[in-house]
Amino acid sequence: MTEPTAVIHDIGYRHYDGVRLGRGRATLALGVQSLRGVFGFGRTTRAKIMPLLLMAIMLMPTVVSIGVMALAKQFIMPYPGYAVFMQAVIAVFLAAQSPYLVAPDLRFRVLPLYLSRPLTVTDYVVAKLAALAVALFGLLAVPITIQFVGELLVDLPGPPHTADYLGALGGAVLYAVLLSSVGIALASFTPRRGLGVAVVIAFYMFTAAVSTLFYAVLSSTGRDDVAPWALILNPFFLVDTVQSALFGTAPINDEGYPPGIAACLILLAVIALAVTGVLLRYRKAAS
Amino acid sequence: MTASATPCFATEGLTKRFPRVTALDDLTVAAGTGVTGLVGANGAGKSTLIKILLGLLPPTSGRASVLGLDTATQGLEIRRAVGYMPEHDCLPPDISATEFVVHMAQMSGLPRTAARERAADTLRHVGLDEERYRPMGGYSTGMRQRVKLAQALVHDPRLVFLDEPTNGLDPQGRDDMLALIRRVGTEFGIDVLVTSHLLGELERVCDHVIVIDGGRLLRSSAIREFTRAEQTIAVEVEEGQRRLAERLAALGETVAAQGRLLTVQVSADDPGRTHDAVRDAVCDLGLSLLRLEQRRGRIEDVFKEPVA
Repeated sequence: MTEPTAVIHDIGYRHYDGVRLGRGRATLALGVQSLRGVFGFGRTTRAKIMPLLLMAIMLMPTVVSIGVMALAKQFIMPYPGYAVFMQAVIAVFLAAQSPYLVAPDLRFRVLPLYLSRPLTVTDYVVAKLAALAVALFGLLAVPITIQFVGELLVDLPGPPHTADYLGALGGAVLYAVLLSSVGIALASFTPRRGLGVAVVIAFYMFTAAVSTLFYAVLSSTGRDDVAPWALILNPFFLVDTVQSALFGTAPINDEGYPPGIAACLILLAVIALAVTGVLLRYRKAAS
Repeated sequence: MTASATPCFATEGLTKRFPRVTALDDLTVAAGTGVTGLVGANGAGKSTLIKILLGLLPPTSGRASVLGLDTATQGLEIRRAVGYMPEHDCLPPDISATEFVVHMAQMSGLPRTAARERAADTLRHVGLDEERYRPMGGYSTGMRQRVKLAQALVHDPRLVFLDEPTNGLDPQGRDDMLALIRRVGTEFGIDVLVTSHLLGELERVCDHVIVIDGGRLLRSSAIREFTRAEQTIAVEVEEGQRRLAERLAALGETVAAQGRLLTVQVSADDPGRTHDAVRDAVCDLGLSLLRLEQRRGRIEDVFKEPVA
């Protein structure tokens, strides 16, 4: 029999006189918590399945590509085309995760609690956008980085595709910013997560279908001058155009793209429109 | 309790008009330290006043200050120093109370380790034990209200705004919540502004009560002045209500009939006398007593009185 050595005392209410960090740190904490949540960390096991499964699918071409490089000494998977090649997977990830970031706070009315603290609407929106953008960047950058490391280790004949790799990383930043702002903008208009998922995936399928359809119609009727414009209705081709204009990577599409400068402006306009939409939506939700 | 130099909050000619309704109409009021009750019927402007005091809603005209800070320009500083428990539900169902309160502490600027400690402390103080590790979706209304209170207190504010904290609670839950609010105001040393549409429940915990109606100030005074006027007991008997009323009136008590209820004004100088008189009268007349209770002061009673 051991004697109890510890005694619990009721010491009453204690005031907190430690450090109080500023708005920036609170925003950072919200962003980090959101980013962890996108990949299911700190959530239920069920919430981890989808993001980790999609991440695994994203890595599959990398594994195949490294295998082919090692065994057949052939380079089959160019870095700049990775995102366009895997666009369906990225779109599903975006659709599955952007509503998670914004819908519960609207549905369960947690937003007023954030705003009753030293956190502004803009801080909240910035934290959520940044979390999704970092997640998407990771989703794209991790596979191509692993492939690049693999390429260096396998040591193929000829120089490594360093410029392509760096260009693709720059492109990944563009994809992350564009897709996260569009995803959050679409998802934040409904407090219902299921509906948000449907809206985001429908947006992707609609733009992809319209883009392909218009391109086919325009090129078959001999309007080859305007046909490339139809392509950039698809956000993935839009970023690919900008990526090849800015970083000099080879476009995934052989038929040619509209002028790079126009695509850059369109990309900026879409991002600005989406972010403004989100801010306006939350200004309204806050009052 | 001494009044401090800066009042908890003060408003001056505060007016808020929405497109179709005037929520606050030229409201000038101030509250000192301790527990202040804000009473008004639904739609009287209580929640609007709290939103303005938090610096989240600009008033149409007039000024307001909280802890000496101007709500129009120093909203961030105010929100750093106060806590807010909203009237509506605000808890995501799939995370635990601990995780939620830790997160809310971080949103108030506490570092992660401090947030964990404070969250555990605060949840213990509001009376949430093992269940704090379970997802909040399965909580009872009483537990949910406690978590809402905990998130308002976790960053150790100087002042908390509690919007209808007893909403939806059963009588026992109400008593527990009111006792907790009293502790926050006294033992924790945090000033409290608590709203309710029941004056009767606030008189038990408040030092000072502000009554608003239709966005206008009806009355603002220390609780003693309210309770003096409010002391009544309600009596319900099966038959012979009139005989009882006559008997009590003959004994010099002030009696009024309200449907099946008799309300008897408790004598201010000798409260025991009235209670004894009711007991004796019921016994002597051989009536079957159905109900005998301390009447909760109701907001309508204040409305009947002239504005002080």
